[in-house]
Amino acid sequence: MRMIIFSWEYPPRIVGQLADYVRELAIQLIKNRIETYVVTYHDFLTGEYDDLEGVKTYRVTNQVRTHIGVLTWVLTLNQEVERVAANIYYKADKQVNLIDAHDWHFIPAAVTLKKALNLPFIYSVESLEEHRSHGVNSPFNMAIKSIEWLGMYEAGGVVVKSEWMRDEIYRLYKVPLEKIRVIQPKSANWIKSILEIYQNAVEGGKIS
Amino acid sequence: MAHELTVMMLTWEFPPRIIGGISPHVYYLSRSLAQNGVKVYVVTCDFPGAPQHETVEGVEIFRIDSYKNPSPDFATWVYLMNVNMQKEAAALVNSLNGKVDVFHAHDWLVADAGIGLKHVFRKPLLTTVHSTEIGRRNGIHFDYERMIHETEAWLTYEAWKVICCSNYMVSHVRWAFGLPEDKLVMVPNGVDIDVYSKNDDLSSFRSKFALPEEKIVLFVGRLVYEKGVHVFVNAIPKVLEKTNAKFIIVGNGYMKEQLSNIVKSMGFAHKVMFTGFIDDDTLRKLQKCADVSVVPSLFEPFGIVALEAMAAKSPVVVSDTGGLSEIVDHDVTGVKVYPENPDSLAWGITKVLLNDAYANSIRNNAYKKIQEKYDWNKIAQQTEAVYETILNVYSKTSWA
Repeated sequence: MRMIIFSWEYPPRIVGQLADYVRELAIQLIKNRIETYVVTYHDFLTGEYDDLEGVKTYRVTNQVRTHIGVLTWVLTLNQEVERVAANIYYKADKQVNLIDAHDWHFIPAAVTLKKALNLPFIYSVESLEEHRSHGVNSPFNMAIKSIEWLGMYEAGGVVVKSEWMRDEIYRLYKVPLEKIRVIQPKSANWIKSILEIYQNAVEGGKIS
Repeated sequence: MAHELTVMMLTWEFPPRIIGGISPHVYYLSRSLAQNGVKVYVVTCDFPGAPQHETVEGVEIFRIDSYKNPSPDFATWVYLMNVNMQKEAAALVNSLNGKVDVFHAHDWLVADAGIGLKHVFRKPLLTTVHSTEIGRRNGIHFDYERMIHETEAWLTYEAWKVICCSNYMVSHVRWAFGLPEDKLVMVPNGVDIDVYSKNDDLSSFRSKFALPEEKIVLFVGRLVYEKGVHVFVNAIPKVLEKTNAKFIIVGNGYMKEQLSNIVKSMGFAHKVMFTGFIDDDTLRKLQKCADVSVVPSLFEPFGIVALEAMAAKSPVVVSDTGGLSEIVDHDVTGVKVYPENPDSLAWGITKVLLNDAYANSIRNNAYKKIQEKYDWNKIAQQTEAVYETILNVYSKTSWA
């Protein structure tokens, strides 16, 4: 199996908890003989490509330098993520099985790749706009929520880290419970459970 | 090629959704390409009452949900709309087994979608730059404008070729984004002569706008600074010193109230008529009745309104700037005057109004010129040649 992970933070660029989690995940996947690529944001401290510990990491930067907010920044950055993912796909002779998108940032790229190339994706949820913005519902927050909704709707499966988050997603986005999988990071069955949901999504992706 | 040349147009407006000049441009270009045997798909924003999918004169139109996402401002709306446009277009191309040869994006409003589709399907991207942020705003002053400017630059960077509608725009776009000369192609905008060819009796129509002894002087455009409508208003008393005329101002814009106050303070309210936005049919009749059509713009990438007047056989007076400089040959197909100069403008208008033989000669020459140069069928063939050039280069790349 060959897969691509999308994450807007990845070491050495650490914003919150997600960066280290994604790196640990990628290393574990490689140990399980899954060829793993990471596409992440470039922060000028890193090169465009490295493969530390076997994780093939591409870092992209935004072609549009000036922005009026997080949304315009994320949406233009998505095109570079999408471009690099498409390059990985074509260089691998179209043999990429799955994308795992962490949080909402690169959902638009994952959705286009699914529609264009029949590449299924998993949406791994670290946090939701509802909780980050404490229920504020300005057009800005609603726009991010609409991207989260799109991700939930189009994903082949949703991975969350707690039962509380599963219930929140069910409450906020009405995602069928059987589409959501609670997998506690670094628990005994962590990678085994992740591999199961990946396999499900890959097979499901072939059917739809 | 194993199949017919297939193009996917990306545009944020397509009839019946009409915001500016891109909508009619893409309509006529697509229609004429289809008549020349090119398969054209248009992916565009939705509009109340317009179907999601229809075939119009051989062109397949797909309308996407463009208000799916709440948006804090216009630019953010544009980028969010591109998420849906890209998603829908990707699904469409996939359903066609990837059989699209070229993606053709019109302005920055569809930049993200065009760039994304290029890379996921590995097909060439072409863009037509209709206008620029730096031109519209006469410089880049705020982050909002700079973001749009950089998005435009990014689109021209990703495009294999950049089409502009006038030589003026070619040099402007080259300067604005630092593009190599061989990346730019000039293909003019066109005008549909047929819609002006009906021979109605317009005397009763005319009497709604002017007295029989008044000549009609027509301005058509948004009432904004860059269109120079304030120069037009300042020329009014100077024209009236020489001849009797009625000045008709068609269009809306933020300067309307201010202009109307100036006219009143001049004491010429009875000589000037503000019609606001009018329907196509009324506009065309008015253009046919006009004894002179005036385009006093300060910034004008092309100047389609001058072509329309020429197709309506109305003599034109234009400011010598931008695309207008190329459309009009002075004393041959119209009159050129100094931009932002009411005296010069009044001189040009008066010259046409006081000399019928002169007016007739520029009227006839202009009509001949638009038939030769601004015919949509010819423009479609020139555009097709650009597609073929790109595909020839593409066929030798690793993407092919």
